[in-house]
Amino acid sequence: MKIEAIREKIVEAIQRAEKVAQRNPTLPVLSGLSLEALGAILTVRATNLDLGISIHLPVKVLEEGHLVVPAQVFSSLLGSLTREKNITLSSDGQTLSLDTPSVHSKVMTLPPEEFPIIPEIGGGSNFSLPAKDLVQGLRAVIYAAATGSVKPELSSICLLHDAESLVFVATDSFRLAEKKVKVKKIPNFTQILIPQKNAVEIIRILDGLDTDVSITIEDNQIALRSENIYITSRTIDGTFPDYKQIIPSVSVAKAIVLKQDLITSLKTALVFTDNFNQLKLSLAPKKNQFEIESKNQNVGENTYLVPAALEGGELAVSVNHRYLTDGFGSTPSDSLALSFAGEGKPILVEGVGDKSFRYLLMPMNR
Amino acid sequence: MDYRQLWDSILAEVELAVSKPAFATWFKDTHIVKRDENTMILSVPNAFARDMFQARYHATILKLLRERDHTIHAIEYAINRDEPKRRDARDDKSQAAGMTSLPLPETNVNKEDNLNPRYTFDTFVIGPFNELAHAAAQAVIKSPGLMYNPLFIYGSTGHGKTHLIQAIGNHVKATSPSKRVFYMTSERFGQDCMNALQNQKMSIFKEKYRKYDVLIMDDIQFFSEKQKFQEELFHLFNTLYDNNKQVIFSSDKHPHFIQGLEDRLKSRMSAGMIIDIPQPDQESRIAILTAKARTHGMVLSQEVIDYLAHTVVGNIRDLEGALNTLIVHAQLKGREISVTDVRNLVKSNQKPKRAVAVKDIVKIISEFYSVEEDSIYEKTRRKEVIKPRQIIMYILREDFNISYPSIGEKLGGRDHTTVIHSCEKIKEDLKQDQLLGQELSQIRNLLVV
Repeated sequence: MKIEAIREKIVEAIQRAEKVAQRNPTLPVLSGLSLEALGAILTVRATNLDLGISIHLPVKVLEEGHLVVPAQVFSSLLGSLTREKNITLSSDGQTLSLDTPSVHSKVMTLPPEEFPIIPEIGGGSNFSLPAKDLVQGLRAVIYAAATGSVKPELSSICLLHDAESLVFVATDSFRLAEKKVKVKKIPNFTQILIPQKNAVEIIRILDGLDTDVSITIEDNQIALRSENIYITSRTIDGTFPDYKQIIPSVSVAKAIVLKQDLITSLKTALVFTDNFNQLKLSLAPKKNQFEIESKNQNVGENTYLVPAALEGGELAVSVNHRYLTDGFGSTPSDSLALSFAGEGKPILVEGVGDKSFRYLLMPMNR
Repeated sequence: MDYRQLWDSILAEVELAVSKPAFATWFKDTHIVKRDENTMILSVPNAFARDMFQARYHATILKLLRERDHTIHAIEYAINRDEPKRRDARDDKSQAAGMTSLPLPETNVNKEDNLNPRYTFDTFVIGPFNELAHAAAQAVIKSPGLMYNPLFIYGSTGHGKTHLIQAIGNHVKATSPSKRVFYMTSERFGQDCMNALQNQKMSIFKEKYRKYDVLIMDDIQFFSEKQKFQEELFHLFNTLYDNNKQVIFSSDKHPHFIQGLEDRLKSRMSAGMIIDIPQPDQESRIAILTAKARTHGMVLSQEVIDYLAHTVVGNIRDLEGALNTLIVHAQLKGREISVTDVRNLVKSNQKPKRAVAVKDIVKIISEFYSVEEDSIYEKTRRKEVIKPRQIIMYILREDFNISYPSIGEKLGGRDHTTVIHSCEKIKEDLKQDQLLGQELSQIRNLLVV
């Protein structure tokens, strides 16, 4: 194999694919990136047998060929050559040579015949949306997904749809985030569960793309195609809980606050939180007081009066600091509405004027 | 040689030919599922493995298979759907000390057989209206596949069909774990069939459903007008039936009244036992309410239960809904519920009686009997028109309390005596003709929708 290309283009592709290539004790070749030159295209592939990616790059192919190069080594090498514009990659079977007018390196390669084939998903249900919408949807909920593998359906991002939007939902059973993204054509599927780990990669790979992504679903597998990027991931064969029935429809008390005010007060409160990250929120609508209280036996205590518009009755609940703040970033609104359904009932956080995002969290029981 | 030995012997040869990591990665967790004529179906763990087999190892494996049995011509790869084993949920609580969980509903459905473990005979309330169906279910449990095959249960929505057929499945599963039970809705069968067609995996699809000992198919009426699904169902049914495997169907109508269902399917569904679960009678409604209240930990006075059973017309779900409202109310007020409370609650929950235009009823009933809507209003005395016309008059009179003269006038200016005669005739016929009674209840169902 022998190709000539602009370094930056290769670096961009390698950086997207690199994180997928991980050390694998049974199949060492998986820690490598597969580079294949065919026609006028260089294809970069990486997989961990759960998620697979291939990226096509137009390059000047002088000699066709296929090799696998250790991802980390190759990526650090390319990344360090910031002064070089054009590079030549060539191979003599055992090693890959990288040459520029001033640099000559040789990298040991891995056996290319052992590199897996990235499954091509065809048929099945199909729809498309802008890559940035997909990334936005995933990013708005991903932090709420469970990270363990106890319940596979909860360590997944669930994709659903309603009459006009694609709906992203994730929950670790302590809080739940739901984001709706408008789509032109309503897709034809009931539910897709993308493993949280793979969703992290998908966000990373697609971030910053301006193109559309077309999504194809086959049994237990999903494929995402953009102009020159193809990603395929396993999906979870399970059923996401019917979460809509737990979103409270009525509230006994409600607070509307400026997001910035709340963030500032929570920063102060954080200084005094205990090991459980516990905060006490007290609403006194008659006195028009919204108070955040945190206490740590070894440190001290603090109360913060947050300017807020209140309605409903008096109420005090304890919440986990982290779980409360996690959802703030996912709504563009400057004001937040916190609706309380009563003691021991979920709290609903929404951006004022933003119908696309809902965040639900459970109070603590002490 | 059984499949396992066959596959082991092939693996032994493959191991010599491929590299160690490749063998460990790709050939782990593979096995032969079965043979479908000249095709071997091979189970692989994921899509990556499937594509690797197709691209790299297909020729090798086929050659090795053919060396052992030259009648094998092809291999198909099926992705194994065994779920990873679930660990105990308590492992994961470390970071969440002091947290209460969102009351997320548990997804109760067992993935392997699709049965909801909640539906058992213990929670099934037996009354005069469903004791026949219950007895048939018990007979099926005693000797699945032999006694009543197929068992066809029909009745309106909310009469407990799904509960009964799932209870059969759960019971068979509990008593004979070796039997493979599968529950599905006809919609799911259709979806599977469609996917298999699109992806050209019909043999895998066929194989999937043929391996069950007890196959339960709910809401079969959705199959009407779907030729391809019916054909698949027909062949599937024949295979299962010939092998003495139990098949259970449910529907909202008698198979003969499912429009667009092929005759060959109708006749097969009628071959076993067909049982109707009608509207629960007063006595059963009381029993159901008492049982449901008990599961909620409530004891309601006899008076309240009687009143509810009497006033809440409709199916079991309506009863349950009314009861749930009561329970929430009781918890809110923190005291026992009196009949006056019930009266107020029920009143606000009653559906208003819908005003129906005569034209709509004519349309629905003439469609039901497949006659021209216009012919009802005409003077024609053709036999096939007369019956629907009389039934329309009867329904308008009985269910909607419209006066005889006004019925006559609205149905093409007929004399009120004609209307009276028609109503009397249907009333008389009903006493002898059971089929007519069923038709009428079907029509009434159509009217309320």
